Amino acid sequence: MKKLNFGVISYAHPHALRFASVIAGGKRTKLVAISGDGSNSDVARAEAKKYGAKFYTNYEGLLRDENIDAVYIAVETYRHREIAVRAAEEGKHILLEKPIALNLKDADEIIKRAKRAGIKLMLPFNPRFTEPLKKAKELLENGEIGVLEYINAISENVKPPIFLQGLDMSWFLDKKKSGGGGFMDTAPHGIDSLLWLTGDTPRKVYADIGSKIYGFPVDDIGTAVLEFRGGVLAVLTAGWGNPKGYSYSIEMKYYLVGREGFLDVRTAYPDFTVYQDRAEKIYWDRPDVRNIVETFTQAVQKDKSVPITGEVAKENLKITLAAYESSRERKVVRL
Amino acid sequence: MDLRVGIIGCGNIFNLAHRKALKGIEGVKVIGCMDIDEARAKEGAREFRTKAFTNLDEFLDLDLDVVEVLTPTYTHSELTIAALKAGKHVIVEKPIALTVEEGKKMIQTAEKEGLHLFVGHVRRFDLRWIQMKEVIKKRNILPMHIRKAEVQNLPFPKDYWYWDEDRSGGVAVDLGVHVTDFLRWFFEAEPVSVYAVGKAIKEEARANETFDHFTMIVEFEGGRTGIAEVSWAYPYPSRYGVFYHHVDIIGKNGRIRYTPLDTPVVGVAKANFEMPRFSPLLSTFPDAFERELRHFFNCIKGREEPIVTAEDALIALKITEKAKESARTGEVIEI
Repeated sequence: MKKLNFGVISYAHPHALRFASVIAGGKRTKLVAISGDGSNSDVARAEAKKYGAKFYTNYEGLLRDENIDAVYIAVETYRHREIAVRAAEEGKHILLEKPIALNLKDADEIIKRAKRAGIKLMLPFNPRFTEPLKKAKELLENGEIGVLEYINAISENVKPPIFLQGLDMSWFLDKKKSGGGGFMDTAPHGIDSLLWLTGDTPRKVYADIGSKIYGFPVDDIGTAVLEFRGGVLAVLTAGWGNPKGYSYSIEMKYYLVGREGFLDVRTAYPDFTVYQDRAEKIYWDRPDVRNIVETFTQAVQKDKSVPITGEVAKENLKITLAAYESSRERKVVRL
Repeated sequence: MDLRVGIIGCGNIFNLAHRKALKGIEGVKVIGCMDIDEARAKEGAREFRTKAFTNLDEFLDLDLDVVEVLTPTYTHSELTIAALKAGKHVIVEKPIALTVEEGKKMIQTAEKEGLHLFVGHVRRFDLRWIQMKEVIKKRNILPMHIRKAEVQNLPFPKDYWYWDEDRSGGVAVDLGVHVTDFLRWFFEAEPVSVYAVGKAIKEEARANETFDHFTMIVEFEGGRTGIAEVSWAYPYPSRYGVFYHHVDIIGKNGRIRYTPLDTPVVGVAKANFEMPRFSPLLSTFPDAFERELRHFFNCIKGREEPIVTAEDALIALKITEKAKESARTGEVIEI
């Protein structure tokens, strides 16, 4: 089968580095173009050279490139709607970085336009593509721990360095561009896992989110209590709580309590540890990113449905925004 | 001269902790053991070669300096007040009482009689937490977000008093006060509000219409967030012990994590493998009980100043009482 030709739009989000590398190295994918919208256009240009991909200064040129079947969009969140809508108009399948948009209205617009264009739209929430969480889901479905009752989830990352691997990430600290800080950045991953593991949606959210650690203009950590319609109770802590010396840069953990058993799931990625002045985990493989790209590619090539649709991502955003509202108003928000 | 000590309640906590601790402390002498169960009273008395009582008045007629109240929670108030009125100092197990109102009366009585009232918040005497608190101070960690989980596999049948909320307060109170006191101790701040949710997971809890799993999000002054998770429902195999702590402290200048995996354990590998995951002990190590009692006795002798007071115990209880109100009403409750 012909390889799926990908364009990567923007290196604003650092995930672009990883996705570009996986797309370029994929059996069924080819990285043919990169555009330099938003932050880090210089990195985008250098990466294009590295992969022998065509470089466009902005997405318009890339989207008009008929050689391109699909795009991975990693631009600043506030431009998701603008660029995703244009990509749909040009008939490109879309793998769109999370969160889907800044607000539900924009999310709706993206979903509507993707549908109208008849293209695939998928959001990359990593944890459910990791082996431990897939195994946990299988164990749950096989009834290994009985009726699921409680989940404690941790979805945390390091303090965002303003420059990471040469990338300028300062837009993460600008709410107008990112929609929020550490909680907006990492909670959607945990929320996606919760939606997926329970196969359910929450009816009530209470959260405490704030700029507690670093004195950033945006929040850096938050905890949300989610009460699902079917009775599962979940507590999710998400943010940028891991200091530099912490041995995990990314940490994703789930304690799943059922009536007859208990699962202790530590995901993130396969790693080894280097000890010098501090301990550092080196993630030597990212099967989650590979899995996301493969799943998306298969959905496009075989015209199958994607596992994480725009609607799922919109539900996710709705919950995330409700958590912010709860924290701001200091009250329980009913969904 | 030795302090003359009397024991009321020769059941679980006496046998698991106080009996041994008392034997290790110099300068005290157990003069009498009382229990409404004659066999248990006699067994306790035999340990200390002293007299057994089943009648409170006869017991309180003894010439005692201190009475230890080690009975089920719902009897704490009545027994403590009776002992204080009989002119004895009192050391009562945690929680201070079943309700805040009862606790207040106990404190008022102690004040009126000019006697000491101590509550066995044994976590404050556990070297793990003492050391952790010192590190927080010395290294200026400035905690902003603390999660503490205390999880127990309660090995008692459903008609046992622990499962009856009217007698124990339920897990929210029984384990809850440990964690709310811990949070207040570590934050060195007062609680502002609480949101809590509970679940009835095990049959014992459902039959008693109580929670066996309870999560409190406690907001403290200065935007600090405490997450207290207490449970009698984690289905751990009890042969690996009954207790499990997890602490995660995120501060402005660092992070401290503690899991049972950090405590030395004996690893077992067999065909039917189950990982021992926590120290097979009480909620705390036996030496903490000894340290606690020695401190209380020294306070009574005027040699030390109390590091944890009955007022501290009352606030710990108050947070859990408000948390239960939150769980009942589904709303955030001001403290």
